[in-house]
Amino acid sequence: MAVMKKKKKLGSMGEVNTSATADISFLLLIFFIVSTIFAEEQGLIMLLPGKKDTQDDVVKVKESNVATIRVGYDNSLTLDRKPVVINQVKSLIEARILANDKTVVVLETHPDAHYGKMVAVLDELKLANARKLTLKTTKR
Amino acid sequence: MAMDFGRSAKKEPQIPTSSMGDIVFLLLIFFMVTTVFRKETGLPVELPRAEAGEEAQRELVSNIYIDRVGRISVDDRLVQPKHIRDLFKQKAAENPLLIVAFKTDTYTPYGVVSDVMEGLKEANAVRVLFQSDIEINPGTKY
Repeated sequence: MAVMKKKKKLGSMGEVNTSATADISFLLLIFFIVSTIFAEEQGLIMLLPGKKDTQDDVVKVKESNVATIRVGYDNSLTLDRKPVVINQVKSLIEARILANDKTVVVLETHPDAHYGKMVAVLDELKLANARKLTLKTTKR
Repeated sequence: MAMDFGRSAKKEPQIPTSSMGDIVFLLLIFFMVTTVFRKETGLPVELPRAEAGEEAQRELVSNIYIDRVGRISVDDRLVQPKHIRDLFKQKAAENPLLIVAFKTDTYTPYGVVSDVMEGLKEANAVRVLFQSDIEINPGTKY
């Protein structure tokens, strides 16, 4: 009897339950659809002034309200002609805005300066919450 | 004969579903293999790092690649700075919410970027994004 039973078991094919495979694969599919995030573009957003049609569009600002940061041809930094270090920019500009909320920050960059330096300064200005920002290029 | 008909009408029709899983897997694998994400080749650039980076919707963004030696690439084509205006005039007309992303190398001379921006101003494509990477260790500024 024992021998017979063993033989029978070996003869019949083992059945794997496959009815749930579709559900499992659908579940995987839905999981990946939901969890996929496409990389977003990240960076510093600026609004350029756009085309000036008339002279009236030009806004005049009092010189006392202007803070000029210059990036020199050798990537040196000055704030109102006084040399500064990049790490100071944020606190200096914050102080300027706190003292005078009409402060307009002009970021003037020399054409030979590195773009990365200008972005580094712009980053600091954004961190200092400077809303009135102007980009300018030094004339050669 | 009549009996036979009666019997087959009562019997529920069976659709074999055992191979459904295989079919779905096969479809999944087929689409995984054949999917190609459209990627702009652009130019190789080392983006500057910034802490204050904001995110922009990808659908609105049009890229300008500028590499270290000042070559400019838009839509996989090298362009001259003087052609930027006409190129982006059209783009701005098609999409008023257009954001122009500068994928510019850290060591690019600013003059090139400035020239491109002048072109954008004239084309009225005024929303720009200076694309940056996330600052890994703040305080170590360029």
